[in-house]
Amino acid sequence: MPFRFLRLQGFLAAAILLLATLVALPAAAQDRADIVAEICSGDFAAQQSALSRLAGAGVEAGSEGALWARRIVEAFEGRSLRCGDGLAVIDTPDGPLRASTLEPAEGVDTSTLSAPSVNLRLRAVAASAGAVLRLFTEESVAARAEAAAYVDRRREALTPEILAAAVERETDAALRDTLSTLRASLLLADPDPVNRIAAIEAIAQDATLRNRTAIAEALAGETDAAVLAAGEKAMAGIDRTLALGKVLATLYSGASYASVLFLAALGLAIIFGLMGVINLAQGELIMIGAYAAWFTQEAIRAALPGLLDYYLILAIPVSFLAAALVGLLMEVLVIRRLYDRPLMTLLATWAISLLLINTVRVTVGSQNLEFYQPAYVSGGFPVLGDFIMTSNRLFAIAVALFAFIAVVILLRRSLFGMNVRAVTQNRAMAGAAGIDTRRTDMMAFALGSGLAGLAGLALSPLYNVNPGMGTGFIVDSFMVVVLGGVGSLVGAIVAALGIGQINVVIEPIYGAVAAKVLVLLLVIVFIQWRPEGLFAPKGRR
Amino acid sequence: MAKIQSDARVDRPLLFRIVAICLLALIVAVPLLGGPLSGSALGLTPYLANIIGQIATFALLALALDLIWGFGGILSLGHGLFFAMGGYLIAMHMLKAGYVYGGVTPDIMTFMGWTELPAYWFGFESFPYAFVLILLVPGLVAFLYGWMSFRSRVSGVYFAIITQALTYVAMLLMYRNDTGFGGNNGMTGFSTLLGVPVGAPGMVTGLATASLVVLLLAFLACGALMRSPFGRLLIAIRDDEARLRFLGYDTLWPKLAAWCLSGVLAAIAGALYVPQVGIINPRLLAPEVSIEIAVWVALGGRGALSGAVIGAIIISALKFWLTGFVPEAWPFILAGVVLVVVTLLPNGLLDLKPQRLLAPLRRNRKPAPEPAE
Amino acid sequence: MNAVTMTAPGAQAIQIDGLRVSFGDFVAIPQLTFIARYGEVHGVIGPNGAGKTTMLDVITGKTRPKAGTVRLDGKVDLLGMDEPAIALAGVGRKFQKPSVFEALSVRENLETALRLKPRSILAEIRSWADPRRGTRVAEVLEEIGLSDLADTPAGILAHGQKQWLEIGMLLMQRPKLLMLDEPVAGMTEEETRHTADLVRRLRSPERAVLVIEHDMAFVEEIADRVTVLHEGNPIFEGRMADARQDPLVRQVYLGR
Ligand SMILES: Nc1ncnc2c1ncn2[C@@H]1O[C@H](COP(=O)(O)OP(=O)(O)OP(=O)(O)O)[C@@H](O)[C@H]1O
Ligand SMILES: [Mg+2]
Repeated sequence: MPFRFLRLQGFLAAAILLLATLVALPAAAQDRADIVAEICSGDFAAQQSALSRLAGAGVEAGSEGALWARRIVEAFEGRSLRCGDGLAVIDTPDGPLRASTLEPAEGVDTSTLSAPSVNLRLRAVAASAGAVLRLFTEESVAARAEAAAYVDRRREALTPEILAAAVERETDAALRDTLSTLRASLLLADPDPVNRIAAIEAIAQDATLRNRTAIAEALAGETDAAVLAAGEKAMAGIDRTLALGKVLATLYSGASYASVLFLAALGLAIIFGLMGVINLAQGELIMIGAYAAWFTQEAIRAALPGLLDYYLILAIPVSFLAAALVGLLMEVLVIRRLYDRPLMTLLATWAISLLLINTVRVTVGSQNLEFYQPAYVSGGFPVLGDFIMTSNRLFAIAVALFAFIAVVILLRRSLFGMNVRAVTQNRAMAGAAGIDTRRTDMMAFALGSGLAGLAGLALSPLYNVNPGMGTGFIVDSFMVVVLGGVGSLVGAIVAALGIGQINVVIEPIYGAVAAKVLVLLLVIVFIQWRPEGLFAPKGRR
Repeated sequence: MAKIQSDARVDRPLLFRIVAICLLALIVAVPLLGGPLSGSALGLTPYLANIIGQIATFALLALALDLIWGFGGILSLGHGLFFAMGGYLIAMHMLKAGYVYGGVTPDIMTFMGWTELPAYWFGFESFPYAFVLILLVPGLVAFLYGWMSFRSRVSGVYFAIITQALTYVAMLLMYRNDTGFGGNNGMTGFSTLLGVPVGAPGMVTGLATASLVVLLLAFLACGALMRSPFGRLLIAIRDDEARLRFLGYDTLWPKLAAWCLSGVLAAIAGALYVPQVGIINPRLLAPEVSIEIAVWVALGGRGALSGAVIGAIIISALKFWLTGFVPEAWPFILAGVVLVVVTLLPNGLLDLKPQRLLAPLRRNRKPAPEPAE
Repeated sequence: MNAVTMTAPGAQAIQIDGLRVSFGDFVAIPQLTFIARYGEVHGVIGPNGAGKTTMLDVITGKTRPKAGTVRLDGKVDLLGMDEPAIALAGVGRKFQKPSVFEALSVRENLETALRLKPRSILAEIRSWADPRRGTRVAEVLEEIGLSDLADTPAGILAHGQKQWLEIGMLLMQRPKLLMLDEPVAGMTEEETRHTADLVRRLRSPERAVLVIEHDMAFVEEIADRVTVLHEGNPIFEGRMADARQDPLVRQVYLGR
């Protein structure tokens, strides 16, 4: 989890330090000489402060200064730093170097110089400072992580400011989190209770589980009543935010699942309302949509690699049309022959789903497809507590919203939509009024299938895509249609959201099976209570 | 104008008799050819006898579905549920009996980590007890679900897809280990049935013959029932349930009776099937298994008992044969059969041989009516 | 014109008061008061969507109204009963679309329509062979003129024959209230005449007959009294001949 406030503070700290170094730049050479002199002074207190200042120099991340400081500290630790006669050199196999400038020290006889004396304390500070500097100079994440682990144990040269700067320049998210936690615990270990309270309050601003743990750990050994009180209050605050964040996160993932369900169920509901046909192949049309997205990706990768990032957008029409085309063929070749025999259409559409699954299995294979994840469907925006609005789910919601608006406009405003509504209400009358009901059926079937295709596209960054993927969605989609009632857009939305939420709320607690069981029981109970919600007024007698 | 006989409504009378006679012939032939004559030129290998036995249970299952779909007009896409129930119950009996009387520790205890069988296995070592449960449990489940659905007038495709969802959820439940029925391993390793070791010679032909006998009895009984006033009422429900209600019949009870009977028959089929295959697991609850049952009936011809039996025999024999050497082709063939039947043969194979009695009905190619929505 | 003279009104068979029916936002019947009397054939006419079928739906228990009462014989409240119970109380209804059991023979259709044991279906099917059933079937077959086709499957009857069969099925029970929804729609002239004769014969002091029809000549021929419905409101009640002259009715039928 990113520590937002720490990052902000770190940014400020870095800015100030940068400013300071800019101002101090002409004096840098002098500073280095002073630091080296102090290290060589033989006064333990002065040596210690010098080593701490060396660590601070690492704040000029990756700069020559940090590398220099690291060189000095390592020389000090390795006892290759030699002092004497106001001279400090680093003994290397290639000859001595001046410590302050790292230039060769010609004519210096290192045998006349001696390594500065050290005690245990000094050695610890040096080790800590060395690790801090490695944190700023190492190239590999692993080495920096190792250094971070070291400074966690050896905090002698560590200050909150140094950590703030380290967090700021750190590129690895996990390491950044570790460093932030470390900084929090450092702040919380301040000897002054007033500072500790300030630290608690500051940390609590960013309500994450990590910060809560840091505060709880700090309070474990706390004796000061005011600090304890502040800590309890801060933790309670974090708990509330975390709880809220958790609720939001659940609602959010429910909403994204609901989007997929909604798209699939909307298609089912339109078709069922119009023709009384339940399309058991709707799940496979979802699969077709997802495969169309994958083929779009592969085609773009081969032909226009520059546009690869946009393949999900370009796949919107492709997925829709691919599924719509399959739907159209289904309607023309099979469904329309089964007019007035709804139960037979169940078998027929099941057979088609069997064909689709096995055709894909034989031609493409049954492994999960690999999808490239462009930036807009990876990562997310932290919102509250541990709740991150992940982009892949946002994408699904956006596709559903887009499709919903398009369908509403289509049904409300277009001639085709008017025909669909007329035929749904009274087929005979609509036919008598000159509407080509066959054509309307065909187009509506294609539309409903295309919507399933969009569902497949929307879920491709979220779920596994393989030939059998459709079966997992089909039962939930039916339940949406049954719950929402037929031909009701609002009903479909409400039911999709409801079933989506039940799935995500129950799943982490009792498992996916319990969620499915509950949805089914809910539907069976619901039809006891409101059977009329189930039946479209299909014709009059 | 043609006269109508109640016989013709239930089946083609001639076909009905032919099927009954064929079944009778098999009942005589299987134990003979599989037993004393097994070495002769016409002898049945145990493998073949076993397949005949399995197919007989499928035919029984198809008969059960035809009762409710072909005659009542109520399609269930979840008859695998009842079939599996019968299977699980007989499996529990066989394991418990083997454990109690034969001292064979069931595998299920090992992989479930049980030191003893849980309380709901109580009494399962007794066959009469298990048998009663095989009738009672599926009957009760059918009753509850049917009562709730029929009472709120859930019908047609709604009823069908909810039965499918029910079976699907049951499958998910049974796949879990903590449901206590063996998870995805299911139950296997049966040692005895009715005191006879399952490996005993004659067990295979015995079970196959028993399945054929039950099938024949059920076939004749269903025929009689469908020719009876009850069958006539059921057909009236299929043709126009609303009309019947507006004539003063509360259709709930006749539908419920047919539905429960169908469920129990399916469970009996399952109880005969599992000892023959030696294993039961949740795959029997997969939606496609249940839909396949409907395909048997649709192919054979809804509303004709011999059609259901013939459909089940043709498709499952084809499946046994084909999956032997081209398993990948099977889904395509099955799908093709369904599409051909639903588009070209609305009444299944019955359409192939138009029969004089129903010729006028067929002249306008009118499929057997589905219930009014 | 062969208008039936208005006879003195008999006792009230069905009595509808303050009836309101809506489907969602759409109000099919805003506020309806309606009475049908014994001994009369009562015609109900009105343009498409006037709410005629909806009124029958409410009487037979198919549709639940939002408000109002429906009484049989001035006492039995039909709104509290379900469809089979209403049918057993003596209300028979022919659907707008012919509804017969196609796979059963004409005779079996009629046999099924008679409830000798209203209390239990099991008892009913056990009494299938009761001689009273056969006698009644023969009477009704005679009445509807389908005696020759008694053993024909109903599915292959002609359209008009199906309509007569359905009327016959209702007659089996000797209903107090007989309601026919568009009995002559789609019939040939010959069939229509035959049906008119049949309906006229149905008039009896123990029975009220309600006929919904679009065919004005047919209504005029059979009805003692007509009610004109428009958008769920009765805009006229009286003799058919007078209805033709009524300015409001003319406006509704001939356009505004
Ligand atoms: N179940 C229902 N749901 C919604 N609207 C309905 C329902 N039943 C009837 N309606 C509407 O109520 C109005 C009255 O319908 P009704 O069937 O009663 O008309 P009608 O007078 O019988 O017409 P017709 O002469 O065409 O049969 C119509 O607008 C119809 O669309
Ligand atoms: Mg009407």
